[in-house]
Amino acid sequence: MTPKKKKILKIGAILLIVGLLIGGGTVLYMFNMPHRNVQNASTDFSLTASQLVTEYLENPTKANEKYLADDGDSKVLEIKGTVAKISEDFNGQKVVLLQETTDKAGVSCTFTQETNKNASTVQVGETITIKGVIRLGASYDPDLEMYENVVIEKSDLVK
Amino acid sequence: MKKVSFLLSTVAIVLALFAFTPPVGKFVSSKTHIKFFSHTSVEDIQANNYASVSTIDPSTGDVVFSVPMQSFEFEKALMQKHFNSDKFLDTKQFPKAKLKGKITNIAQINLEKDGTYQANVEGELTIKGVTKPIKEKGTVTVKGNQIEVQSTFSITLADYGITFVKGKPASNIAKTVEVTVHAEYQSE
Repeated sequence: MTPKKKKILKIGAILLIVGLLIGGGTVLYMFNMPHRNVQNASTDFSLTASQLVTEYLENPTKANEKYLADDGDSKVLEIKGTVAKISEDFNGQKVVLLQETTDKAGVSCTFTQETNKNASTVQVGETITIKGVIRLGASYDPDLEMYENVVIEKSDLVK
Repeated sequence: MKKVSFLLSTVAIVLALFAFTPPVGKFVSSKTHIKFFSHTSVEDIQANNYASVSTIDPSTGDVVFSVPMQSFEFEKALMQKHFNSDKFLDTKQFPKAKLKGKITNIAQINLEKDGTYQANVEGELTIKGVTKPIKEKGTVTVKGNQIEVQSTFSITLADYGITFVKGKPASNIAKTVEVTVHAEYQSE
């Protein structure tokens, strides 16, 4: 074997190994890709709870088109509103409902284990701003016979 | 004297009116947990949802669950993306699933008396715009003015047009998945 051929073989082998490593790494990364960190993501829209509810009640199709994403990583919103209710879900996460008394529906914001402590100082009647990801819009449900709230999750207070 | 008797009869009428209004309306729950569980020899996959809304009408036994599909959380982000995509649940087009049923033996369940009751539920389940009949069993637990409902049943994904023909999903996702439903109601 000439030294030139040897060199080509060597480079080829290195390229192959590097390629395999990158390929394998990408597959592994894709498979173990972490969830999007909603709080670190940039805010797509800032609006009031009333505005968001009105948009959904007036034109749900248009609102879904605007706010929901195909892969579930929907828009990150900052919502300002009056605290109407504070509760806790079955996962021990705080749920803060932002709703004006004149509105038919509100915006239900679920916090996380990490952000729960920030919700504990919140009081009913206060006006606050919450950042989170939208999961579902507001609508009147004829089977429930009531208005459903907008669902926001991965929430935290905006200071 | 006339004034007093007028007052008394007014009070009597008001009391009578109250007596004839149904004592309880619909019970509403926003404290819910819905879980999907899929078991294959390759892996177990589960997804949890804590954001559903449910109502129970104690007089008719009507029970409704409205489920925000994008609220299902998986351990792996990629699985969650797949679940939401138009190849699987298409949650942008169908953001809500719904269970609409009737507790057929509601007459045997006393929602004003503490205890655990077996409930037979018959109705319809709508996922991805496809509605199929369901018949399942559940448990109703009454404790004070708090009512809890629990049920576990199976659904066949292909019934709702959710099919995987090739690749990882076909081998890793069960054809039939177990659904667990849990809700806690307070009288409104």
